[in-house]
Parts: sequence; C-alpha cells; structure tokens
Amino acid sequence: MSQAERRKKVLCIDDTPTLRRLVRRLLFQKYEVLEAATGLEGIDIAQKTRPDLILVDLHLPQLTGYEVATRLSSILPKTPIIALTADTSAYVRERALASGCWGYIAKPIEADEFQRRVDEYLGGVREILEDQSFVESYQQTLVLRLEEKVRELTDALQDNERLNRQNRDLLAQAERRSRLLEAAARVSHSITSILDLDTLLRATVDIICEEFGFYYAGVFLLDEKGEWAVLRAGRGEPGRKMVEAGHRLRVGGSSMIGTAIAERKARIALDVGEEPVHFKNPYLPHTRSEMALPLVVRNEVIGALTIQSVEEAAFSEDDITALQTMADQLAVAINNARLLADLEEAHRELVRSKTFEAIATATGEAIHWVGNKAAPIPGSVQRIREDVSRYLVAAHLLLAEAPEEVRESKFAALLEEAYAELQAKGVDLAGLEKEMRRYSLRRLLRILTVESIFEDLEIIENSARSILNIKEDLIGPARKKRLQVFDLNQLLRETVARMGIKDVEVIWELEEGLPPVRADRVQLGRVFINLIKNAVEAMEGRPVRRLTLATTRSEHQAGFIVIDVADTGVGIPVDRLDKIWMAFYTTKGDRGGTGLGLPACAQIVGELGGRIVVQSEVGVGTIFSVHLPTVDAPEEETVRVSQQEGSEVE
Amino acid sequence: MEEEREVRILLVDDERLVRRSMEKTLLRAGYDVESAGEVREALEIFRQAEEDGEPFDIAVLDLHMPNFEGVDDPNAGLELLSRLVAIAPTLPVVVLTAFDEVRRAKEAVTRGARAYFVKGREAGLIELIEEILS
Repeated sequence: MSQAERRKKVLCIDDTPTLRRLVRRLLFQKYEVLEAATGLEGIDIAQKTRPDLILVDLHLPQLTGYEVATRLSSILPKTPIIALTADTSAYVRERALASGCWGYIAKPIEADEFQRRVDEYLGGVREILEDQSFVESYQQTLVLRLEEKVRELTDALQDNERLNRQNRDLLAQAERRSRLLEAAARVSHSITSILDLDTLLRATVDIICEEFGFYYAGVFLLDEKGEWAVLRAGRGEPGRKMVEAGHRLRVGGSSMIGTAIAERKARIALDVGEEPVHFKNPYLPHTRSEMALPLVVRNEVIGALTIQSVEEAAFSEDDITALQTMADQLAVAINNARLLADLEEAHRELVRSKTFEAIATATGEAIHWVGNKAAPIPGSVQRIREDVSRYLVAAHLLLAEAPEEVRESKFAALLEEAYAELQAKGVDLAGLEKEMRRYSLRRLLRILTVESIFEDLEIIENSARSILNIKEDLIGPARKKRLQVFDLNQLLRETVARMGIKDVEVIWELEEGLPPVRADRVQLGRVFINLIKNAVEAMEGRPVRRLTLATTRSEHQAGFIVIDVADTGVGIPVDRLDKIWMAFYTTKGDRGGTGLGLPACAQIVGELGGRIVVQSEVGVGTIFSVHLPTVDAPEEETVRVSQQEGSEVE
Repeated sequence: MEEEREVRILLVDDERLVRRSMEKTLLRAGYDVESAGEVREALEIFRQAEEDGEPFDIAVLDLHMPNFEGVDDPNAGLELLSRLVAIAPTLPVVVLTAFDEVRRAKEAVTRGARAYFVKGREAGLIELIEEILS
C-alpha cells in the first residue's frame, strides 16, 4: 500500500492552540500533523518539510493567512493550501482563492465534514475562482499592506536609531562624567598637598589642562578691596604673558569671571561669540567654549577659575558639578596656602624685628663695654699728674731749705726746672704745697708712692689693651687670608701646647687619618684658641675641670669633619645661647672674658663654608662643635672657599 | 683733724680696674674705703662692719653686675641697695653707672638711692660724696 509506504503530511498554521489540537486529533491517525502558530513559522516549516497539505487560518497576526497562502503557493505551487476561517463576511471564499488557496473550510470545524474535505483536497480537488477581479483587488490590498509594513518598519528603524543614539549619548555622558570626576579627584589630590601659593596655582592650571585636555585654564584671585579679580596663574605662554601684564577683571563687570564672582555662580559660554558677558581675549584667540567657576571658601568668594576649550559646546551643565567640586577643593587649597604664607610672613617679621633688637642690643652692649673699660683711665691720669706734681713740690720745698752747694748742683737745677714747667702749666702748686705741709708723713706715704704711680700706669695700660683687643678681634676675620692645606689634629695639638693650659685635665679624642682642611692656618688657630680659652675660663672654680678635644668625620655631611671643644664648666642658660654670637655679649661678668671672640669665630668658620654649633647645659658644661669642610668635600660646599682663594689670597 | 674719725665708704664694682681706680681716688681724698667686686661679698663686709661697731657712712654701688645668683643683671646694684638699707635704713647710697645707662641710674634714685654718678670723672665723685655727707 502506498499509505503504508509514506504517511502524508498535513501542516496546520493557526494561532489558536485549541484549534491546532482539534486538527491533530482529527487527522493524526491518517496523517502526520505538523503545527505552526504564526505565518512566518508556517512558511519556515513548509519550506523544510514540504507537507502534502497546508491548512492556514486567515486571521493570523503579523502576516495574514492570505499573505501566507500567497507566499506558500509560490514556494510550493503543487501543494494544496486550504483556508480555515471563522469569517462569515461576503466574498471570504473568493478572497482566499484569490490569495492562492485551493479551497476553503469554515470554522467551527465539523469533524466528519472536515476529514472528508481534507481527504478531498489531498486527492487533488481545487476550487475555481470564477471572478478574476478578486485577484486584482487582493493584489492592491497586498500592495497597501506592503506599504503599511514598510512604513512601520521605517518608523521602527528610525525609532531604533533614535534609541540607539540616545543610548550612546547616555553612555558617553556617563563616561565623560566619570572621567571628569576622576580628573577632578586627581587634580584635588595633586593640589591639596602644595602649600606654596604660587607653586599651587601654577601646578593647578597645568594639571587641569592636562587632566581634562582643555586649551587653557587660569586662576583669578580677588585683590584686597575685592574690586578686581587679578590673574595669578595661567596655562602656558599666554598665561605667563597675561600674569606679567597684570591682567585683571573688574568684579561684577562684563567679564564671565567678574560675573561668576559677583553672582557666586558658575557661568558657561558655549559659543563665546554669543555670550554677552564674554571678554574677547586677544591672548586666547582659539577659545570656543568657556567656563568660569567661583572659588568659595567658608561662604567667602576668594576668586574664580576659568577653563577654556577650543571645541564648541565643550561644557554641559553636568560638567559644572564635577568641575565645581574641583574648584571647591582648589579654593580650600588656596586658602590653606595663603594662611601658611601669612603665618610665615608673620614669622619673618618677628625674626626681622628680633634681628633689629639684637643689633640694638649688641650696639648697646658695645657702648657699655667700651665705656666701662675706659672709665678708670681719666682717674689714673689725674692721679699720676698729681703724684708727679707732689714729688716736684716736695723737691722744691726740700731745695729751699738746702745748703747753698746743694742748691747749685745740676740735679737741683733739673728739679727746679721741672717745677717751673709745672708752674707754667698752671698747676695749683700753692694748694699742693699747703696740703703736703699739713699731712703727716704716714698719710703722705699712703697716697704718694712709686708703686701707686706704676699701678695707675698699669690700669691705663690694661684698660687700653682691653679696648684695643676689640679691634684685634673685630678685624680678625677680615684679615688677608693665606690659605694652605694642613692637618687639623696637628693644629689642635700645637695650639693647646702653646696656650700652656694649667689646672685643667685635657682629654684628646682625635680620629687619625682625617682628610686635611684648606684654610688660613693662623686664623683657624685663633678660632680654637678662643674656644679653648672660653672653655677654660668657664671651668674656673669648678670642682671638675676637664677639657675634651675631639675630631671626627661628619656623619651627616660628606667630606666634613667635626671638632668638639667640650668643657665641664658653668654652662650657658638657654635664653642666652643665641646671644653668645652677638658682638660684645659676655656671660662671664668680671672673669676676664672679652665676649668678643665667638662672633669672630663664627664668621671665620662661616667663610670657610663651615659652621659652629653649641650645646650647653647649666651646671654640666658646654660643647662647641666646629663643622668644617675638608679638601674631600663636594664642590658646592667649597665654592665659597675657592672664591676667597681667588680674590683674597695675597 | 687727724683725730677725727675717717668717713667710711663701701665701694662695690665688678670691674676690677674701675674699682681700684675709684678706691685710690677715694683713699686720696681721705676716706676710709673698703671695696668688694661682688654683691654677696659686699653684703658680708657691710654686716661685719655693723657688728664690729664700725658702720659705713655711705655706700657707692655699681648697678650692672652679676646678681646674688651670679647671673649678669643690669639691676644687681639695686638689689644690694635694698638689702643694705634693710640693715641700715638711713644709709646714703650713690649708684655708679656707665654713661649709656644714666636713665636706669635716675630710676635707681627714685627707688632709694641718694644720687647717681656716671663713671669717668672721679673728682666729681668726691664732690658728690662731700655734698651728701655735709
């Protein structure tokens, strides 16, 4: 049997599942039943399976049953296509046939009738369409439907594109926003740690331009009266030129900066030609978009930030949020830097006034010191004058009573001549004579001795010497230098040996093999004489008198050596430590220190590129540490020395 | 005249040469002078003299010296002055000053010193003392 060889296939295309199930139940015993829920699915299945009969519902969504039939009849021209329809309107059968159907079965389906009809159609029955005008009208419907679909599709496509664009824009916006925020964070991070105002501002404009890729950025700060916004930093060459030219904009004036400051609001000009308040800047001819952001700290506007781009519409309202965040951070950073600068200025002012005070004090000390040293001189001079006069009065009185031959001796003549000289000088000889006649010998011997005259001469001599030593100490560092290279340990040993220190234990802690120094050996020797003398004097009357002299390589400065002169003396009170470097200052009262040496020492050592550091504890002792460059010191450390070598060596 | 009791002067100055020079000037003028280079020593000498019944008639004190703590002090003389006056309330005191510290010396006069003397012309000091004691 042919039936046994191959079961015929029936494809049922209907969007109603119950109908498809009904069809299956009615046909499955005789035929293989295939199902499709939509027209397109039906076409696909038909193409693949090539069924022997196709049932198609005329009222399918999307592609209608008519259209499916038309399509299928062109793909499978020999396969009967039967329309299924509940449509009872006029000419449904004709329209179905016109679309390519072979026959027509009305819904609801009647089981017997349905099976019979299917068998018939499979057997080759094809209904004839008598009126061909239905084909024409169907074709027109089809064209209309096509046009409608094309329109729908075109609309959908446009919709799609619009949505696509929208999505793309949203994505780009989100990306840009996050990039801006990231850049803002980076800028904020970079600038908040800069504390020098000028460095901060310059770095800020550079970082902003680099991070955001802007053409130009500039920072304006308000002047003291708040009338002008003064450009304090600008990107690149235009910025530098404008800062130099003192570029400033009036607050509340027509500029974007002026307006942003006055209104405390960010301003954007996307087409700078159209923005009425934009300042047409000859330095920045390529600007096409500009944004001005106020810099606000604690509710106070301190200036504004300008950002400019060569692109038109470079900024959106959204950008303001990101950039204003950054501007706020910048404002805080600027404020911090300013506060610090104020603080430093106040400190410098303090140091300046302290320096003036120190100079005034030092001058006063000098006047006081010299005055004190010179004070006894006039007294001594007066006494010597009186003493000489008294001796001559005595000689004169003695000679008046002497025998003739004595009065005629040449010595008498010599004495009388001296007496006459005194008289000529207007000395009150009569007064002196009266006084001497009145005083007893005991009393005369108390006031008139050669020893007393010598003592007065000594007072004058010592006073003068103290004063002369000032000159020696002061001009010490200025003397013409004879630089030579020598071993410092050797110099220290010689210095101590020459000084002949008594009653002090000297401890040597010299590191051997130190590189030599280049200096004026005599002058540097004087520095150590001075330091050692001070140390010894500070230990006078102290229970332990130990002077330690130590040399070592500097741990902190390559090529430097450190010479310590340490004593177990009285120590220097903390509040006096800085004063010891002033000329004429002394902590030693009457103990013979001139107080002149340390400033001179510091100057000599300073000229060699070194320094003297002092540490002291009252009651424990003092250490003076001389840091000196050796011939091994790096070049920059010895520059000053070699300059002196060039200019001052004889 | 020789039998008259000599006027006793206490002289205090930390500058050795200045002190010695003034001491000589005062001795020549006929005064009995005792001198000290330091305030503690000066106070001790003054106390001892009071105990021995040979009190000083006048004190001549430098202003700027190490004080009782041994620290350089522009007003050390004033501190000594108040301690001496505490022992002998009628003691006349002359303060010595360098020529650049006259203002401070004038201030000392308002704080109990009888007069001030600017170091240098020592004959003037004699005149001043004689004027005070007359």
